[in-house]
Amino acid sequence: MEFTLTNMLSWWQWMIVAAVPPAIISLYFLKLKRRPIEVPSTYLWHKSIEDVHVNSIWQRLRNSWLLLLQLLVVLLIILTLLRPDWKGQQLGGKRLIFLIDNSASMRATDVGPSRLEEAKRRVGQMIERTNAGDTAMVISFSDAARVEQQFTNDRQQLQRRVKAIRPTQRSTSLLDALRTASGLANPGHVAEDTGDLAVAEALPAKLYILSDGKFPAVTGFSLGHLTPEFVPIGRSDADNVAIAAFSVRRSEADRELYQALARVKNYGTDEATVMVALYREGQTEESDNAELTIPPGEDRSAIFELGAVEPCVLRAKLDVDDDLADDNEACAIVSPAQPANVLLITAGNEPLEMAVQTDSVARIAQVEIKGPDYRQEKTYLDNAAGGVYDLVIYDRCVPKTMPQANTLFLGVLPPSGGWKAGAQVAMPQILPSPSDHPLMRWVKLGDVALLEGTPLKIPSGGSTLIDSPNGAMMAVAPRERYEDVVSGFVIVGEDTGEDGKPRRYIGTNWPIRPSFPAFIFNLFEYLGSGAAVTEGDNVSPGRPVELDAPAPGAQLRVRPPKGKVIDARQVKPGKFSFMGTDDLGVYEVLWKKKRQRRFAVNLFHSDESDIRTDEKPAIKIGYVDVNASTGWVAASRQFWKVLLLLGLAVLMLEWYIYNRRVYL
Amino acid sequence: MPETSTLLSPELLAKLETMELVSRKIFRGRMKGERRSPRKGQSVEFADFRNYVPGDDLRFVDWNTYARLEKLFLKIFLEEEDLHFYVLIDTSASMDFGTPTKLHYAKQLAAALSFIALIRSDRVRIETLGQPGSQPGAVFRGRQSLWQMLDHLETIEPDEPVPLAEGVKNFCLRNPGKGIVVLLTDLMEKSGYEAALKYLVSRNMDVYVVQILSAEEVDPDVQGDLRLVDCEDGNTAEVTISVPLMKRYKQTLAAFVDGARDFCNRRGMVYLLARNDVTVEELVTGFLRTRGLVR
Repeated sequence: MEFTLTNMLSWWQWMIVAAVPPAIISLYFLKLKRRPIEVPSTYLWHKSIEDVHVNSIWQRLRNSWLLLLQLLVVLLIILTLLRPDWKGQQLGGKRLIFLIDNSASMRATDVGPSRLEEAKRRVGQMIERTNAGDTAMVISFSDAARVEQQFTNDRQQLQRRVKAIRPTQRSTSLLDALRTASGLANPGHVAEDTGDLAVAEALPAKLYILSDGKFPAVTGFSLGHLTPEFVPIGRSDADNVAIAAFSVRRSEADRELYQALARVKNYGTDEATVMVALYREGQTEESDNAELTIPPGEDRSAIFELGAVEPCVLRAKLDVDDDLADDNEACAIVSPAQPANVLLITAGNEPLEMAVQTDSVARIAQVEIKGPDYRQEKTYLDNAAGGVYDLVIYDRCVPKTMPQANTLFLGVLPPSGGWKAGAQVAMPQILPSPSDHPLMRWVKLGDVALLEGTPLKIPSGGSTLIDSPNGAMMAVAPRERYEDVVSGFVIVGEDTGEDGKPRRYIGTNWPIRPSFPAFIFNLFEYLGSGAAVTEGDNVSPGRPVELDAPAPGAQLRVRPPKGKVIDARQVKPGKFSFMGTDDLGVYEVLWKKKRQRRFAVNLFHSDESDIRTDEKPAIKIGYVDVNASTGWVAASRQFWKVLLLLGLAVLMLEWYIYNRRVYL
Repeated sequence: MPETSTLLSPELLAKLETMELVSRKIFRGRMKGERRSPRKGQSVEFADFRNYVPGDDLRFVDWNTYARLEKLFLKIFLEEEDLHFYVLIDTSASMDFGTPTKLHYAKQLAAALSFIALIRSDRVRIETLGQPGSQPGAVFRGRQSLWQMLDHLETIEPDEPVPLAEGVKNFCLRNPGKGIVVLLTDLMEKSGYEAALKYLVSRNMDVYVVQILSAEEVDPDVQGDLRLVDCEDGNTAEVTISVPLMKRYKQTLAAFVDGARDFCNRRGMVYLLARNDVTVEELVTGFLRTRGLVR
């Protein structure tokens, strides 16, 4: 706000105006004719006015309200002549859309009570400054958008809805909010013979995005008639140390023992020294504390030896005073290995059968070996569709439909999933590409030779496990919540001999190398969920969780960390989906009031934890760079009319005092 | 001789008939009256015995005592004498103010008190402050002097302003005797009233100071920008009437009245404030009675 005055008069005119107040004062003294009154004695009057000094000029002025009011009128008129105005700010646009970010990073407390509260406060101010007739809409967004208030010109209603916006723990995606906002500004088009026609008249709107800008650039969106204004919330020197990952794994030294690993990242600008404490079912010991000194922008890991563990909830807590508290705690559900349920369907593969029946494998998996005919049996079909198996190995055979399980295909391609194979090559050479995939841990293939192999074309999202100059010989790719491993070579192959009888041959020397049992072990540990130490994957806040029914017809319920038990929604027979993962913490899945499993919701999101805003905040929407602004446009408001009315009111007051002889 | 007076109504006269002046001191009078005197005399009231000495009037020998003791004793009786009652009226211009004027009110009060004195055979002298120093005021005695006294009062008019102290001093010089003196004034003396009252105290008189103020002085009904002119010396005070000023005036007046009362009480004088909107009858039968001047 800036107050300005405009000179409307020339110097000689000002001289005349400036002479008015002294003239009034002199006229006042001239006109003051005191009425003489004879009194018995002025003795008491003199004594009364001695301390007042009634004859002094200031005393006269003090007692003359009429004079003061006249001077006030003149001053108001002079001020009016100066044409005062406020160089203020107001919102531009007639249709306003407020997009308020309420993702996890907006819970940071580097500004105001929190960034979200600051954003709400600013929107409140903006709504107050809207002009009469302006309509506004309020949308809150995290990973999904929510229309808090449709277009209205009711400021009270808008303020109420803005105040009602609550913070979430979710990640940020602006795209959904932009699509919601553009509904009226960019109406859809229909194709006609004569051309493209808009289905409704476009209503341009001004889009105010109040966010910390911690989200990826929006692509594939055209602003059209939306004019964006980015109002950044937050500070570039915000301080945050976060638990970036928290997991439990088997100890490398002793597979019977476990260890917890907390990866802590410093998102601040200064080196941070933090204490990481591990809590087992709410209890902590001295050995469960680790101090980490983390340079800015780097991460450090704290490893806690757990020994042999019982099923429990582990929590890692950071003892640090930073601007975002939500990522200072993480939890994991520890569930020591239950033997994985593995089905091997093979027409005969001795090396593999031997490898899956070793003692070390038997500790982590229960392997069932069946022939190819088993694929048609009802038991298989029910179990495969019901998610009974953790891992199914198809050796040179394929199922009709993919099972609800992780799979390994040897020498064949899965019936679905986009896998393709190239021409078979003889003696492909294995490249020593160091794959960091968990399946290939401790697996050295330098001494492995293949008799023949089929290069694989991997579906999107997959990665190569064994590479050759001709292409991938083994690869892994995700399928829904499962993973499929496909091998382009066989361990034991089968062809027709010279005598016309089928004969078996060894396709690779891998089974006799030390790396083979290691691979099998990794396979069971990684793809057989029974080997997983942590129960369930980490779930991001707001993400749906798929739950398997423990028995046909079961109804699952979920108890969140806060609040009441909620029914999970059945999406198909045996499959449930739970959407209410808004809070961080441990959720319990219940069936018949008994706990079936637990899963943890943690904020392991670098965009949300990295709460520092950019020095020059800007966001990118499509091809448009939206730089930070305050959201205001300059506006001036003249109020000489108000002053004139005020002068008139003072004049009327003077008239009243004069006529009613009010003595103050 | 007029049968009525503007100063005393017949009803008031009837009430005053039953009253008498009370002197807190016993003074020597000049003529035989109705009051006890410090001198021994021939009243019926016994005072004392004393031994007979040759030459004493044998009529006062107590023969009963002689018969019993065979010694001659003389009975001494108290003498009853008249009381000197002085009324001193301030006739300055400031007293000619108010409705009725303070002077008129003072004359009414003087008439009432003088009447009480006359019917008790006291000696009444009415004087004014402006009276020349060598010329004593008229003396009235006995009920038959009532109309003379009233006539005298009627003739009193506002006079040239004389300082209060000077007027009282002259009064004291003219009247060396003792008695009751009632000073009727407004005490509005710029040089102060203290010196004047001290003169009266020094004469060892029984002094009553009646300060007469008009209702207009106690609660002035004025407003606006005024130039107040003193009716005695023409002195002016320019004021703009406001609520704070009126408040301060009343505070000053209250302080002035309290000061005068305190001054009088400390010196054995009786102070009385009279407002001209309180009737003389009310004042005499009410306030003066409670103050002990009359009973």
